[in-house]
Amino acid sequence: MSRSAIGQVFYALLAAVLVALAATVKTDGYIANILMQAATYAIAVFGLSIVLGLCGQINLAQAAFFALGAYSVALGTVDYHIPFWLCLLGGMAIALAAGAGLGLMTLRLGGHYLAMVTISFQQILTVVLTNAIGFTHGPDGVSSIPRPAGFASGQSFLALVVAIMAISGYLVWRLADTRLGRAMRAVRDNELAASANGIDVYRTKLIAFALAALLAGLGGGLFASGFSYVSPDQFAFADSIVLLTMALLGGAASPIGSAIGTGLLILIPEWLRFLKSVPGLYLAVYGAAVILIVLFMPDGIWGYISKLFRARKPAPSKAAEPLTLRPLDSGAPMALEVKGLCKHFGGLKAVDGVDLQVRRGGAHALIGPNGSGKTTMVNVVTGLYRATAGEIFVDGVDVTTLPAHKRTVAGLARTFQNIRLFRSMTALENVVVGAERDGNALIERGRAALWGRARAALDFVGLENRANEAIPSFSYGHQRLIEIARALAANPTVLLLDEPAAGLNLSEKKELHDLLGRIAAQGLTILLIDHDMTLISGAARHVTVLNFGRRIADGETADVLRQPDVAAAYLGVSE
Amino acid sequence: MDLFLQLLFTGVGIGAVYALVALGFVLIFRATSVVNFAQGDFSMVAAYLMVVFAVDLGWPYWVAFLISIAGMAVLGAVFNLTVYYPLRHRTFLPVLISTIGASIFLANSVLALYGPQPQVLPGWLDTPGFQVGPVYLDSQYLIIICVTLALVAFQYWLFERTLIGKKLQATSQDKEMATLLGIPVAGMIMLTFVYSAVLGGIAGILVAPILFVSIQMGSTIALKAFAATIIGGFGDVAGAILGGFAIGIIETFGAAYISVPFKDAFAFLVVILFLIVRPQGIFGERVAEKA
Amino acid sequence: MRFNRRILNAGLAASLAAPMISRVARAADTLKIGMVLPVTGPAAAVGGYALAGAKIALDRVNKSGGVLGKQLELVTEDDQTTNPGAVLAFSKLAAQPDIIAFLGPVRSTQNHAIANDVLKTAKPFCFGGTDPALTKMGNPWFIRFRPNDTYSARVIASYGVETLGKKNWGLVHSTDAFGASGGKLLAAAIDKLGAKVAIDQGYPNQSPDFTPVVLAIKSSGADVIGSYFTYENDQAIFARQAKQLGLTIPWVGSPTTVAAATLKLAGPAVWGTYAIADYATDSSPEAKEFAKLYSAVSSAPPDLQSAWPYDAIGVLSIAINKVGSTDPGKIRDAMLSIKGYKGAEGEYTFDQFGDGLHGYNIVRNENGTIVFDKHIEFTD
Repeated sequence: MSRSAIGQVFYALLAAVLVALAATVKTDGYIANILMQAATYAIAVFGLSIVLGLCGQINLAQAAFFALGAYSVALGTVDYHIPFWLCLLGGMAIALAAGAGLGLMTLRLGGHYLAMVTISFQQILTVVLTNAIGFTHGPDGVSSIPRPAGFASGQSFLALVVAIMAISGYLVWRLADTRLGRAMRAVRDNELAASANGIDVYRTKLIAFALAALLAGLGGGLFASGFSYVSPDQFAFADSIVLLTMALLGGAASPIGSAIGTGLLILIPEWLRFLKSVPGLYLAVYGAAVILIVLFMPDGIWGYISKLFRARKPAPSKAAEPLTLRPLDSGAPMALEVKGLCKHFGGLKAVDGVDLQVRRGGAHALIGPNGSGKTTMVNVVTGLYRATAGEIFVDGVDVTTLPAHKRTVAGLARTFQNIRLFRSMTALENVVVGAERDGNALIERGRAALWGRARAALDFVGLENRANEAIPSFSYGHQRLIEIARALAANPTVLLLDEPAAGLNLSEKKELHDLLGRIAAQGLTILLIDHDMTLISGAARHVTVLNFGRRIADGETADVLRQPDVAAAYLGVSE
Repeated sequence: MDLFLQLLFTGVGIGAVYALVALGFVLIFRATSVVNFAQGDFSMVAAYLMVVFAVDLGWPYWVAFLISIAGMAVLGAVFNLTVYYPLRHRTFLPVLISTIGASIFLANSVLALYGPQPQVLPGWLDTPGFQVGPVYLDSQYLIIICVTLALVAFQYWLFERTLIGKKLQATSQDKEMATLLGIPVAGMIMLTFVYSAVLGGIAGILVAPILFVSIQMGSTIALKAFAATIIGGFGDVAGAILGGFAIGIIETFGAAYISVPFKDAFAFLVVILFLIVRPQGIFGERVAEKA
Repeated sequence: MRFNRRILNAGLAASLAAPMISRVARAADTLKIGMVLPVTGPAAAVGGYALAGAKIALDRVNKSGGVLGKQLELVTEDDQTTNPGAVLAFSKLAAQPDIIAFLGPVRSTQNHAIANDVLKTAKPFCFGGTDPALTKMGNPWFIRFRPNDTYSARVIASYGVETLGKKNWGLVHSTDAFGASGGKLLAAAIDKLGAKVAIDQGYPNQSPDFTPVVLAIKSSGADVIGSYFTYENDQAIFARQAKQLGLTIPWVGSPTTVAAATLKLAGPAVWGTYAIADYATDSSPEAKEFAKLYSAVSSAPPDLQSAWPYDAIGVLSIAINKVGSTDPGKIRDAMLSIKGYKGAEGEYTFDQFGDGLHGYNIVRNENGTIVFDKHIEFTD
């Protein structure tokens, strides 16, 4: 049985034990209340581990979504006599919609700005809950919230909550390993690279927000029935901060971390009650504890613990299949054609009316002095910038207005000047992200095919034996190779390499040269930007030269490199 | 019209308080990319220091003021060393949480040391205010407005006209480059924290006669000040000041003309609108990533 | 870094063990009363007063022989001035089986939050929140030691309309449970007396500025203010700004108007105001005696925050001694059967709902001294 399957069985057993304990062990009201609070909060923190831990987006409104779920159950059951389960589902749906709404904001914002939008939403909701007295009961809150039939006793309801917590924890845990989960992790690690590898960044963030809100709504609904009373001051900004702290302290990216963080932050103030003789002392200690944990446990408590026990991942046992590259060929004469491309940044004309024809098969180089517009051009072609004017055709398909992640479907793939790998993933996972782009015809259904192709791509660049190592353990040159493997795994038609030789030593450059040859031999078209003229003249048959955003030369390599204005602009003239 | 003028004065007055605290926020953010959740607590600690020296010990106002400000400078330095500096290479979220921990720690330490009863701090002037036509000008608000404007002017002079100001700007814009140019970055950051703590402290001492000295006084202001920095453009000093005044005025007028209970919501609605329509704030610059 | 991690691990281990160590065996042979109060959070100030009042009562009872021959002991837990905090604090106390009765918080919203757990614990729960709904929920264990807000509202209205002769009211109240309910009840009471509400202004707690509220009242033409302020800070800021902006109409306010903290913060700004006060030093000899005992332990003036816990302990000890057992049901019945108990807050006669007081004192702030004016009692 694979390690992951063993882990899942273990999880199921642990969950079953916890639920059984919750259902049978009699505890006093205090412990029961703490457990109830911890379990319902934990579900909300699982939500945070998705949007924050997996996807890297800030969400300071988790308590607001929690409130939406709680109030849906409270008002629905008490005022409108709707059955509990319907209210719970309704609350989750409302929270989901609100989360998606907030996620829509991520189109333009990130970082602090996103934080502020979520804070504002949270504050507005609190004010509304407090003052729309006719609907929400205002500051009085809603009391005597019933529990669903069959779970009326505190004990049985706690068992129910623990069971739901276990299930949602499981789903969040497995999420990291799905295509969506990998997309989220890619977005967190490097948005531009994610976009260039076929991931719809905006949609991924939206889904992350929606899922986080959904879980918070679930937790909130259970909380309402658990405590039988809700009031607006239980769901304020301070509580969003508490949830966030729980996620971070425990270890944002994993449900176990979330559970630990939740448990700890609820328990620490309770433990410290013995310091209660001096007012404020125990909370002061609590505040100091938060600082210390952040200081000394950067990955959260679970991150700290799991590092202590981290075993080396074994190298894969079976040999990889050889990599097949079958680039699309629609019959269009050029693999990549650019007509009259312009990119202006305000008054600066970075790219000024450039035409480019890249023939199918073989390597075509784009050279020019720094600031000539090469990288800008690549960025416009791959969709990171929008063209000011002009047209771009990939294999005959007009991609000029397509967003970056859709251009991979047309057959475009690229590497970056400053290597953009997903640093929290292993080499293999990085390549899998490339492989699982939409429309990759070479992947059959199923996990085995996907991972097999990824390993084949890694093998193609010679790094398959280190497939399960994390990125930071690779040298710069090898990281470059992994990035290329990631692009190849997507079975592109045109591969754009932005300064692949930068930072490589002599032997690494030779390896790169051989690799480019092998890629070209499979029929792939390569567009190469670089400053290393040896590499260029060795690898590329055609060359285009840019200077000040304009094309000044284009043709067979040997001819172009002899032209006087190319020499003057770029190569250097002997005095 | 009378109502309008009075509201305007109050709005500007409370806005000046937000602006002053926002200034401290922005400076730290520019230098370190850190949102300091404990900024409001700096104001609170300074107010308590004043109570200890000016009220409990009965020392002259100016002496107590100088000592309190000196105390805030020390607090700023200690804060930098314990909360920011060890975390300076991490992403901003752990630091944010750390500042939250610091905020809890500061508030409750003061509670443990001084007790929960709110305190009274007398204002600078003996006359509580001046009646100018239909408008009553609370003298403490007048002082706040004047001091805020003076500090803004000082800020401008410091940053634009002195070498150390240029060094501070350089540090906040590009730490690595600043280091290469021989600027002692760590020292500049220390200076930033010290100055921000002092600013927060001045804000606290100025507003204490109006809001009274209590453990909570900081958090009441801090969140609004934070919103002000957003409206003004995160990282822009002029914007933070303007944002502070804007929030004060919006809040006051919103309360008077629309609804008092919902006044807190207005400030945040405006923030959301700004973030949707113009996320870089009034003055901020668009930041693009190099591909 | 390794050095620090070891220290950290040791510290973690120690703090995990600490609660175990702190569970020292308590002295046997005491009767325990649990008290939920704010030690931290915005209401921390009043928590201190409440504890002082309870302790004075405790000492008094213990000096005169205790209860059932044993000494009384107080076990406290911090509610952090939040609802979840109150629930956790109460359930922590409720988990101790040797606690025979409880003193609850003074904030109505917290009492609401605890209500279910009190029902489950089934022991007498003495509280100071004034939301009338708290004794109408059918919870037999809730026993109130202050007059609820139906009385406060009627007394304010009665004094303003009938004694001061003002018929055009400006209402100011916080938007939390206490303020919102008080405002509603006051409006109803004013209406019943045939007077008018010119304006009704709610404000959120912890507001830094009340200019809009003050100006709104000024322009409404109201000739008297009725108020329900939750926090003394807000009260003091409002009072100062009202004075500054020239709002000089009479003001009959809820008890925070003459609370110790308000007097200190607002100073001259509240001179000349009227307030309902369930506690007033000159209202009775018992109140005076409490004031004397209180001044021995605190420099702050006594107010309702310290008086009602003092009375609660007093009533509890009498009831327990009368019934001769610690059976919760019996204690409760004994408490509810008490008539005419003269406490610091007034004369307690419990009705079937658990309300012990049915009227309020009216006091006046005369240049900083609280002067007792009259007592208005309702028999219904």
